[in-house]
Amino acid sequence: MARLDAQVIGAVARKDLRTALGNPTGYVFLTLFVGLTAAAAFLQDAFFSRNLADLALLNRYMPEILVLFVPALTMGAWADERRAGTDELLLTLPVRDGEVVLGKYLGALGMFTIALGFSIVHVVVLSTLGTPDPGLIFSTYLGYWMMGVLFVAVGLLASMMTANPTVAFVLGVLGCGGLVVGARQAWAAGLLGVAVFAGFGALVALVLRPRAPRVGIGAGIGAGSAALWWGTDLATRLAGDADGAVPAFESLFSLLAVPDHFAPFGEGVIQLGDVTFFVAFAAVLLYLSAFLLGRRHW
Amino acid sequence: MEASTDAHGPPAIECTDLTKYYGDFVALGGVTFSVAPCRVAAFLGPNGAGKSTTMRILTGYLAPSAGTIRVLGLDPTKEEQRLALARRLGYLPENGPLYREMTPYESLQFFGEVRRMRPAEVGKAIERVVEACALGPVLHKPIYKLSKGYRQRVGMAQAILHDPDVLILDEPTSGLDPLQIREVRGLIRKLGEEKTILLSTHILQEVAAVADDVIVVHEGRVVFSGTRDAFARDGDLDRRFYELTAAQGAKEVA
Repeated sequence: MARLDAQVIGAVARKDLRTALGNPTGYVFLTLFVGLTAAAAFLQDAFFSRNLADLALLNRYMPEILVLFVPALTMGAWADERRAGTDELLLTLPVRDGEVVLGKYLGALGMFTIALGFSIVHVVVLSTLGTPDPGLIFSTYLGYWMMGVLFVAVGLLASMMTANPTVAFVLGVLGCGGLVVGARQAWAAGLLGVAVFAGFGALVALVLRPRAPRVGIGAGIGAGSAALWWGTDLATRLAGDADGAVPAFESLFSLLAVPDHFAPFGEGVIQLGDVTFFVAFAAVLLYLSAFLLGRRHW
Repeated sequence: MEASTDAHGPPAIECTDLTKYYGDFVALGGVTFSVAPCRVAAFLGPNGAGKSTTMRILTGYLAPSAGTIRVLGLDPTKEEQRLALARRLGYLPENGPLYREMTPYESLQFFGEVRRMRPAEVGKAIERVVEACALGPVLHKPIYKLSKGYRQRVGMAQAILHDPDVLILDEPTSGLDPLQIREVRGLIRKLGEEKTILLSTHILQEVAAVADDVIVVHEGRVVFSGTRDAFARDGDLDRRFYELTAAQGAKEVA
């Protein structure tokens, strides 16, 4: 990969951050985020009956809150540029696609970080009520931020696929939501697996026939083969053969589930594996973004 | 096709057999032309003739399906050469897209930063283009509040911020009132003294006002390429343009 220039990445990131903060909707989202997380953390009977100065109740809802919040931050990142035609300006400057993708990512992640920064008022509230464990609070917030690291990448990918911010929001919620629900329900993990296969199939179709790709057929073949695997797995298990020849489909894809990787952070445990999961997953999605951005050349 | 190469040396813009498909649709069916250094070339053609597509390819925004391009001797389809070219090229895309929430000053600041100019350099460059494009009164107003004329001039300011050798302007005068058109044409003429400019238009009067050379595209092909005098040899631009475009279309249909 070619060398990326930090000054260019920084300029793009600052521009996007400034656009987000120079916009009334940016502040609406910030306020909503702080209000919603406060409600999830404190406005519950359990908070007082537990009598513990921690954010355990918020942790239970945080993945779901971020599923809605992060795509709202990222929906315009590419869609607005497309709609205004400014992507043509941006991409004909002496900048590499990778620099633009990274810049936009850091800009959106910056906005998320600011939102998370405002939510530190919750910790202030906790401190007045009791003595929260600084280590636990730190790891919890690191966990929130890690989920943001991944969801911002999902949201940017969604925004790249359309020139309509609303569609980008829905796609982003579906993407992030799939990663969350996959931990809560076995069938959802299965559906997540089918979606991953379909996406992979669509990508293969793009690579094989760049000029006139049969994306639908590729996605269909991907989804079909995933469904076949899933079905075979279900059938073997129904037949009572727990250790069949086919790897368990649902449990394999539940490995991608965000809440399972977040939970240890909420308990004060920072595991290298979980950090790697979020960072590496985000890196793969950013690479995919750069790949799709390069596709305009075909 | 007659190329307008002359004593100035190798052409600044040159494309050969440029072809572009969008799926099965043929946007460009083998476009060949060249522009010599320090000439202002008008790129004429009806809507949908392939002017914008050609310009997007010249700037490296799109890659051609086939054909070769050299701008300042660089090939915009190769990433490293595109980057080198982008440093010496100014581009005003169709409809003058801009970041509406930013002020002209912030926008120019951003473009300067992305172009890796030093802060002092950016400051000087902004002063220069604000003067050239008469942006002073609106420099710190958000762009969405500006009139179409000012917006177009912000687009021009952005294109010349880094003092490029080549300018590619997609319909620089569209949507402007007669007074603004005069100003923009004056600016183009002045810039054309030391830069190579390719500007697209479907206003024929633009040719007489600013162009040294004329390239006419129609249905993805070049139907005329030569000097302005050769184009306007019988004085009636409208009829000449009509003959080139309508007649060619009829021939292809037949």
